[in-house]
Formats: sequence, C-alpha cells, structure tokens
Amino acid sequence: MPSARFASAHTPIAFALVAVVAIVVFIVPSAYAGLLTVIGLYSLITLGLNVFMGYTGQVSLGQAAFYGIGAYAAALLSTRLGISPWFAMLAGASAAATVAYALSFVVLRLRENLLALGTLALGIVVAVIFANWEFVGGTSGIKGIPGFAIGRFTFDVRAYAIFAWLLVACAMFFVANIVRSSYGRALVAIAAGELGAQTLGVSGERLKRQIFVLSAALAGIAGAVYASYVSYIDPSSFGFLLSVQLVLMSVIGGLRTLWGAIVGATVVVGLSHILQSAIPALIAQVQKIVPWFPSAHGDFESFFFGVLLIAMLILVPRGIMGRAESGAVAGVRA
Amino acid sequence: MIEALWQYLLAGLIVGAIYALVAAGFVLIYQVTGIINFAQGEFAMIGAMTTASFVQTGQSLPLAAASGVLAAAAIGALCYALAIRPARSRKASSVTMIFITLGLDVALRGAGLFIWGTNPISVDAFSKGTAIHIGSGVLSPQSPWVFGTDLLVFAALYAFFRYSYTGIAVRAAVANPPIASTFGIPLGRFAFWSFVVAAAIGGLGGVVIVPITSGTYDMGLALGLAGFVAAVLGGLDSLPGAALGGFVLGILEKLAGGLIATGWEQGVGFLILVLVLVLRPQGLLGRAARRA
Repeated sequence: MPSARFASAHTPIAFALVAVVAIVVFIVPSAYAGLLTVIGLYSLITLGLNVFMGYTGQVSLGQAAFYGIGAYAAALLSTRLGISPWFAMLAGASAAATVAYALSFVVLRLRENLLALGTLALGIVVAVIFANWEFVGGTSGIKGIPGFAIGRFTFDVRAYAIFAWLLVACAMFFVANIVRSSYGRALVAIAAGELGAQTLGVSGERLKRQIFVLSAALAGIAGAVYASYVSYIDPSSFGFLLSVQLVLMSVIGGLRTLWGAIVGATVVVGLSHILQSAIPALIAQVQKIVPWFPSAHGDFESFFFGVLLIAMLILVPRGIMGRAESGAVAGVRA
Repeated sequence: MIEALWQYLLAGLIVGAIYALVAAGFVLIYQVTGIINFAQGEFAMIGAMTTASFVQTGQSLPLAAASGVLAAAAIGALCYALAIRPARSRKASSVTMIFITLGLDVALRGAGLFIWGTNPISVDAFSKGTAIHIGSGVLSPQSPWVFGTDLLVFAALYAFFRYSYTGIAVRAAVANPPIASTFGIPLGRFAFWSFVVAAAIGGLGGVVIVPITSGTYDMGLALGLAGFVAAVLGGLDSLPGAALGGFVLGILEKLAGGLIATGWEQGVGFLILVLVLVLRPQGLLGRAARRA
C-alpha cells in the first residue's frame, strides 16, 4: 500500500524537508524564513500533542504552558546565569518535562471532559504565574535573551529556520520509532479502551505519563528555541489562545498522524499570515459598496480559525493526513 | 482590615452572581446533553455587547436589554443547529464535542471583534441612584438588578424542573436517555432548547453586568472560564451547586485579588478547579459522576 510506505518513510522524508528548508531560506525574503521557523517550532509542539491526544486518546488544552515553561526556563538561565543557549535549551526541555511529570500524577487521573478542564486550568494557572511573578519579569517579561551561536557564527533568521526544522526531523525520527513499535500499539490500545488494555498487561497510567512528559519536553524545546529566536518573551505569548491554536493544528492535520503535525502547523500559520493581509484589503473593497460593513480589528482571524475547527471536526474528523496515514500503525484504524 | 474584608466580600457577591448565571447555563447544557460548552461565556458577551451598542445608539433600555437576551438566544440556537447537531448525528466522541465548543468560543469571540471592535462600551446603571452602603461597604447601584436577576432565574429554573410536566420529562431524559426515549420524550428537541435557554441565561447575565464592568468583545472568555470553575466547584449536575459555586468563587477571587494582588484573581479560580477535580470531582453539591 503506497500510503503505508509513505508513512514508514518518516525519517528520510523529514530530513529531506530540512534540506528543502535549507535551500528555500536562501531564496525567499527573510520574513518568510521567520515564518518557516515559527511553523517548525509549532510542528514540534503539535507532534507531541498528536501522540498524546491522537495515539493515547487523551486531551490537553494547556499545551502552551509547557512551551512557556521551556521558554522561561531557558531565558532565565541564559540571561541571569549566562548559561549557553544550547544548555539552556536542554534545561528548558527538562523543566517542561519535570513539571509535566509532577503534574501527571494529578492531571492524568482525570478523563475526557474533566481532563480537558483540568489541562485548561493548568495552562491558565501557569500563564497567571508568569504574569504575576516579579522574579520572572511579570507582565513585562524577559528581555535580551542571547541567541544561539556556533563558535563565532551567531544564528540569523535563516539559521533558526534550518535549526528548527532539524529539530522537527529529529523529533519525527524519535516519535515515528515510538509509534511503530509495540509501545505504539500499546498506546493505541489505551485509546481504544484503557480497561481492556490493562487486562492485556498494558499499564495505561505509566504509558500516558511517559507520553505526556514526552509531549511536554518537545514543547519545552520549542519554547527555548523561540525565546532565543525572538530574544524577548512575555506571558501573552503562552496563553489559552495558543493552546486552542495548537489543538486546531492537531485537528487540521489529523490527530492520529505524524505528518499532520507539520501540515496543521503550516496551514494555521500560513492561513493566519494570509488572512492578516487579505481580509483588511477585502473589507476595504466591500466598504466602498456597503459603507456600514464592519472593519477588521486585532486578531480577527480567530473567527476563521473557530469556524475552520468546527468544519474540520464535522466534515473531515480524521484530518488532512488522516487517510494517508491510516496504515501508520499496523492493523489499527483510527 | 475588617472593613476591607467586608468590601471584598460584597464585591465578590456581585461577580459571584454573574458567575452563577454563566454556570447555570453551563450545567443546563451539560445535564441535558453531556457536553461541556466552552462557548458559554460568549453568550454573556453577546448579550452585553448587543445591549450596550443599542443603548449607545439611543434605544430605550428595556428594548436594548430584550434585544441582548434575544440575540444571545438566537446565537445559541444557531450554534446548536450548525455545529452541535451535525456533530452529534455523526456520533462524535466527547473529546470531539469539546473541540467543537472550543471552536464555537473562538469563532464567536472573533465575530464579536468584527462587529464591535476592540473599544469597550460602557452603559449607565439601570436605575438612577448613588452607591448603596451596607455597613462600611459599598455596592454599585446596579447590584439590586444583578441579585434580582439571579433570584428570578434560579427560581424559574427550580419551578420548571420541580413542577412543570416538561421539566419533569427533561429530568427523566437526563436520568436515563434510552428509556426516556422509548416513552416518546424528544431528546433532540430538549438538547436544542437547552442551548437556547442556556444562551438566554448567559445573555441575561451579560446584560445586567455590563453597567458594572462595561463591555468588550473579549469579556466572554474570562466569564466563561469563571463559569466552568463555578459549575465544577458546585457540581456539574447541580443547579443549586452552580449558584453556590458562583458565589464562593466570586468571593474567593476578590479576597485573593485584595489580599495578594489583582492579577491572582483568575489564578485562584483555576487552582480551585484543579483541587476540586482531583479531590472531589463531583463538586460541592453534585452526586458521584454520572458520566465518565
């Protein structure tokens, strides 16, 4: 089956993508290289979210919190203690993973509706802590976060894009091996029914915890790279709305897929970029004919994202990549 | 110190009254359909903003308020018809339903942004008068309207579910949907009306709070989130619990805001939510979880 072969070629395709990105960033204007970096970082988070939500059948409405924890941990270590961004990135991932591990004992006891509320609460509490804890800068955040460098070469926007996609490829390699192993089939068994999985000797609790920690670590890495890339972070970047956008990326690409993470992140970031420029222009045209037609303000594109999320769930519930990857886990259908 | 505490308590009662209304709509939908409706706060936003913009353009207050409630109810009906019913007829899982109501929340807030922009709209209190003094504390002249609305809504809901034939049929449908269905109880129609009534109650909450907080397109998020916390705190399957949860949350928020710092208000609510979910998932007044 061609789709299955496509699905099994995760790692080569992912690294080929890095090569494509490495060429593209030297052709396109640097603004687009920045866009590619953001897509890469969101792909990283969504990949973790897909394994946690799609494969284990859980739900997280607070994934932005781990992105934030990674960013803040890395930013604090590199600005206050002068630690190299490379080690700060590892520390950011560890910080997010550690917090996820500690919280998993509380949060993962919940199911479905209550799990959604619990993770939502968690995301908001973390955002409130960032905004009110003076030690981490409060609402004004942290400035002057050092960028990545290799020897004398300091990363520019192109280098960040290539680096972000290299991370995506590595994560893809890692995650593809996980979901294609017996471990991955155990995850799917949990999603199908935790009690049934337990009678077959699968420890649902332990597996869910490990995947939750993995997804947090991926988000933490993305956060740490983001902090160095933009050199300035504040709590508004890690709130509830980002968590919703991450869910949207997951759903658009397909929850139980790996490539869907990249497709979803690309669609959401790309669409957001297009809407931001196209809609105000379109409305200006409409207003020439219908003067009272409302203008576009602020992050109005959330309207389209909301409608898109609902439409996808009703019309294409398995996501764009859902059909192509249905053979990704042998013998198991989403 | 005592004076300050008393003032926090009074301020907490006011916001708590609104949280109770949002929570009531939330519980109503959850009871009838088993859906956690993340868009609940947006109904309050629609009620508040419609009323505020009508008042601003010179309409009379009763007309503006009625339009606010009707607009919210109509949006509730649309949400059900365009998103909830199609998803339910495709046997969507409860996780999918969560995502769909999340999408409704984002879409409605975005629509609000389109229609009303980012500027807040303020409205005068419904009745003229100065601040009301109770002991050393002060209440806004709008507060009798807020408490009166709460009393009216909860009394009406209580009477409906206790005495009316339809209300008892809804309770039967909640207790055992398949059996109720065999007795000819129209589950789909109840689900539709639960969205309409919940939206109207939320809209009413928005209408009475807008003179106190003034209205913005994004007011629904905070109200909705507080409504969830209040509903979970009181018990997802209990309307009296929603009222109790609303008031308890309002008071705790104002105490935290006053005694620690304003920014912690929302944080406290969600710390409570996590604690309740873990220690007593059925809430203060709820029974043991009916649905997993």
